[in-house]
Amino acid sequence: MKLLTHNMLTSHVKGVTKGYPLLIKATEVKVNEVEFNPQFVSRMIPKLEWSALVQAAEEDLPGELVADYETNEEFLKKVHRILLEVEVLEGCLQCPESGREFPISRGIPNMLLNEDEA
Amino acid sequence: ITTVPTGFEHTAAEEIKEKIGVDARISKDRGRVFFPITTDKLFQVHLLRSVDNLFVVVEEYHHYQFKESKEETLMELQQLASTLPWTNALEVWKQNGTLKKKKGHRRGGNTAKSKPNCEGVGGSMASTEQQELPQENSAPEGWAGDTQAMETSTQDSDETGHGSKLIKFRVTCNRAGDKHSFSSNEAARDFGGAVQEFFQWKADMTKFDIEVLLNIHNEEVVIGIALTEESLHRRNISHFGPTTLRSTLCYGMLRLCKPQASDIILDPMCGTGAIPLEGAIEFNHSFYVAGDNNDMAVNRTVNNICHIQKRRADKGSMSGLPIDTVQWDLCSLPIRTSSVDIIITDMPFGKRMGSRKKNWDLYPSCLREMARVCRPGSGKAVLLTQDKKCFSKAISRMGGLWRKQHTVWVNVGGLHAGVYLLKRTGAVFGQTPEDVYESRGAVHMQGEEKDDKELS
Repeated sequence: MKLLTHNMLTSHVKGVTKGYPLLIKATEVKVNEVEFNPQFVSRMIPKLEWSALVQAAEEDLPGELVADYETNEEFLKKVHRILLEVEVLEGCLQCPESGREFPISRGIPNMLLNEDEA
Repeated sequence: ITTVPTGFEHTAAEEIKEKIGVDARISKDRGRVFFPITTDKLFQVHLLRSVDNLFVVVEEYHHYQFKESKEETLMELQQLASTLPWTNALEVWKQNGTLKKKKGHRRGGNTAKSKPNCEGVGGSMASTEQQELPQENSAPEGWAGDTQAMETSTQDSDETGHGSKLIKFRVTCNRAGDKHSFSSNEAARDFGGAVQEFFQWKADMTKFDIEVLLNIHNEEVVIGIALTEESLHRRNISHFGPTTLRSTLCYGMLRLCKPQASDIILDPMCGTGAIPLEGAIEFNHSFYVAGDNNDMAVNRTVNNICHIQKRRADKGSMSGLPIDTVQWDLCSLPIRTSSVDIIITDMPFGKRMGSRKKNWDLYPSCLREMARVCRPGSGKAVLLTQDKKCFSKAISRMGGLWRKQHTVWVNVGGLHAGVYLLKRTGAVFGQTPEDVYESRGAVHMQGEEKDDKELS
């Protein structure tokens, strides 16, 4: 699971209102090389929930976006790495409200709910 | 000529114009596109993503006058064999052969020293699902593409062989039209016989070097030579599922929605991941999330992704692809509202997978969920389905959320299906009459649907 995907995933357990963002508990992480495209990154940033990304990244990403980030290549490269190159292979995602854990195996988060949770 | 999935001829013509720079002519024999190129462009033609098979035209007759009787017609076909302008086409075929060998050693590059002009050729639409594994190197595999017309191939029982290099061939004949006095079998047999006589090649159904194509569509007759050995249509998938879509169809669907840089593209029923994988490779400025509720499906998807990444790593390029896989329930997507730009998927067919009854319930709820996650105003959906009636009905009830923009009719595994391009309206989810009504009266809706079913 890449962190870009994590940025979109929410818990949808019945009755939960604050199911986002999911907490990441990783036991195995991998880094993959992905071709850098500055336009991709700079256009993606406004679509993200930035605070959720900062929280997930655990690295020093600024809490607030700087102005002119579109032209700051070093910054874009950093974001690129966090969004696309870091992958959680094993672990789980935890719903912040209910505590329900969704397992991640082979990089695939299993978000299926049981009958009573749906 | 190249064959393309029927319905996507214009897409192919676009790609050809874009990547090769020539205008393509779409044959009225659906599923074919003709274009002229010089042989130095052959390599690029092989890289096209929207085409299944390639042929070079030997000769083309637009208004062939068939004789009255079968005997005379077949006789004429035989005579034709020795009069056709084979030289150019065979030269192209030879150059193409060396090209393929180079491809096999993972070295690209064109081999043309002389440049005979050749007319590109179209091909027939391969509409059956084939289970052979695609390989990067072209392994000689006999394939039989079928078309809407009858298709057959044949061989002669005689063989003569002298000369150091014995060339083996076979003839495939596709015939469409109701005024012909002969069958494709007969035409292939007699034409093939004459070809053999003329060239002294050996006929072999399975291990052939040259495949000669005889295409008859009413009054239009095209004779060609195949340039592709295996259909290009399964190129990405090494782990098949029961209904894996061919890559050329995936490519066609992706082109239809015109992915932009940083678009987030979801396939909520990905199966083996064919569509998002094709996207991650060909339209790699977007990001793809492939999802399915089925264990085997998500695992196959990941296997296919890994396979491609390994192949890329072996070639020395950066292996990572902009794609991820999630296991989820399509009717309750664990995705933030309005966060997706494009939804593209192959919806379960009543006959091939799932059932008609299930579709009645499934389609409305998944269309709603897709509308929820899709960005209002700019969002799009490209959906392939065979259950056109159920789908149209479901869509007509969602005018507040989805608008039909365009439909392409295609042939998948012998079944007629539709690719629907939808635009997400500007309406915010949860405020249109449909969703308010739905959330209040879910039971009522189901009852209404059942009534419709009884009526129709």
